[in-house]
Amino acid sequence: MDAITLENVTKSYDAVTAVSGINLRVPQGAILGLLGPNGAGKTTTIRMIMNILVADEGTIQVLGQPVSDKTRDLVGYLPEERGLYPRMKVLDIIVFLAALHGLTEAEAAKRAKEWLERLGLSEWSGKKLLDLSKGMQQKVQFITAVIHKPPLVILDEPFSGLDPVNAATVEEIMIEMRANGSTIVLSTHRMEQVERMCDSICLIDKGRNVLDGELRAIKQSYGKNTLHVEFTGDESFLKHPAILSVKHLGSGVEAKLAPGADPQEILKAAVQANARITRFELLEPSLNEIFIDRTTHA
Amino acid sequence: MRKLRLIVKREYLTRVKTKGFIIGTIIVPLIGVAFCLLIIFLVNHKPTQSMRLVIVDNSGELAQPIAHGLDAKLENGQPEFDIVDTIVQPASPDSVQADLRTRINTGKLDAYLWIPRDPKESFELHMRNPDNFSLIGPLSGAVDQAVISRRLSDRGVHLDDIKTILQGTDLKLLKVSETGESVEKGQSIGIAIALVILLYTALLMYGIITMRSVLEEKTTRTMEVLISAVRPFELLTGKILGVAAAAFTQFAIWMISTALLFSYGALAAAGMGGGSALSGVHVPASLVVWASVFFFGGYFLYSSMFAAIGAACSNDQDAQQLQWIAMAPLVFCMLIYSVVLNDPSSNVSVGLSLVPFFAPVLMALRISLQTPPLWQIALSLALLFITTIGTIWASAKIYRVGILMYGKRPSIVEMFRWLRYS
Repeated sequence: MDAITLENVTKSYDAVTAVSGINLRVPQGAILGLLGPNGAGKTTTIRMIMNILVADEGTIQVLGQPVSDKTRDLVGYLPEERGLYPRMKVLDIIVFLAALHGLTEAEAAKRAKEWLERLGLSEWSGKKLLDLSKGMQQKVQFITAVIHKPPLVILDEPFSGLDPVNAATVEEIMIEMRANGSTIVLSTHRMEQVERMCDSICLIDKGRNVLDGELRAIKQSYGKNTLHVEFTGDESFLKHPAILSVKHLGSGVEAKLAPGADPQEILKAAVQANARITRFELLEPSLNEIFIDRTTHA
Repeated sequence: MRKLRLIVKREYLTRVKTKGFIIGTIIVPLIGVAFCLLIIFLVNHKPTQSMRLVIVDNSGELAQPIAHGLDAKLENGQPEFDIVDTIVQPASPDSVQADLRTRINTGKLDAYLWIPRDPKESFELHMRNPDNFSLIGPLSGAVDQAVISRRLSDRGVHLDDIKTILQGTDLKLLKVSETGESVEKGQSIGIAIALVILLYTALLMYGIITMRSVLEEKTTRTMEVLISAVRPFELLTGKILGVAAAAFTQFAIWMISTALLFSYGALAAAGMGGGSALSGVHVPASLVVWASVFFFGGYFLYSSMFAAIGAACSNDQDAQQLQWIAMAPLVFCMLIYSVVLNDPSSNVSVGLSLVPFFAPVLMALRISLQTPPLWQIALSLALLFITTIGTIWASAKIYRVGILMYGKRPSIVEMFRWLRYS
């Protein structure tokens, strides 16, 4: 059973088609990175999974059941458009939302205190939300998404506004939840975080998925097509026909190779051109490059 | 249902626990009530001791009739005035006055009345503490009566004849209803107007509270977190019921305090001899029931409209521009209600009171004036009920779409288009 299944899902508002024919399977116990440029249809997709919006066409299943008001309680959700009642007290609002997700108020209060303790917010539990800094509010919001131990968690930009220490704590909690069998959908623009944490990705562009699968497999399928070269001297070898593009970095250059090109030929050309090579490494493309490659349209 | 209960509870507690609610509901009316009670107390405060009075008569002929007019008794059976002494045409007025002042200052006397030689000059009442005001009225009356009586008898007319000649007639108003006749003192009209103002204010006020509450969830971006846990319809219903519960609490507190005030007022008035306007005010129980039924019908109708407006807008300014849609019918009621007041059973009045958007105010008004035929009440309620259901349905649709829309204020046409969204 998959945590989420989307089959040919379409959603449009008046003249605008936000999502057109997305297909997606998220295996249980994985962290999926949901990627895509702004306006690609990520939020609409997430809202349909949450049953906040209803798909025009296609089927959506969450943990083996067609999406409904019941499946909503199985999901923890940290929306991108977030905020909480500013004049409610921290503990009260966590308990209120946890109770809405089916916990008893006593159980909710107990867990809320544990979470506040863990995220270093204990002394703020009686304060109104508006008295908290943005980062602290963000942590409270994160607690409300996970307090009911949902088997599926959808986090939209969970790290925005967090300092590195808090971001590390949240990351640690996410890894821990995966170890406990939860499935996590992470929507973010921070590719390095996705590379570090996600098992698989789904890249959406213009309302359809353009790339999905296990992150490792995707990167392998691209092959080692990136050359990282550090050198001094003549750089005319970079004009070799097997090099498609060159990016100058602080320490050296990153060259993208044409499909089927032999890196050895370039090394030979460099030596002939009297460049002194200090580093010559063949790399997989970064997720950042894959993202740009798949979503820029000439 | 569990989720609905949680939403209602939060909404209710949030409203009731605010400083504004506590001040508006308890403290302000309490100050008002305390003020009224103070006035009633002061007005009804009666002296328990006779006023010890000396009459100094420089005219030589008024002391007797004035003393005669001061024969009223206090509540405890004591005479109002204890005329200690009467000094007629004193030889040395100054020393007499000085002596009387000393007696007042030493507490042996309360006051002395100075009758001038010529009644056209001022009469004077000298006293230490002008605190027993209630006795000044009778005293002044006795003086007037004595002087007038004297002037009339100088012209050969007897005071009692004049009284008889000038006696007016009494026009008594009687209100006819199914249950018989009752004496009408203009209170039905007063109650009716008070009812219209109360219903209008309450519908508008609680509607706007609901709208602001929805808007707050949108502007603070709390909305999406909420609808990831509950259906928008539950959220909308919970909010309307929560505000209704707060409204009910507020009204219950006001009703009870008003009832207490009136019953105290009536008691006090009865003690005074029944002259107070408060004593005769009687609001029939059936009117309270009907007014409540129409109020709640109207509340659900209007607050769901206000909620939809709140959901469609993204900020206060937009909401203020759109809220006229819901306000217009209520304002119309206020402009037109005098037509119904003047002739509650005319065709125009009947027609207006059947229109669901006006019924909560205008049918309640008709019921307070003259109970309309039952079929009219039933029809009006049925239409109100159907319209309310339809409006809640439409509002829920607009609400569901609107709560996720940020940015430009939608046009009314766009809002109608939202009704077709799945």
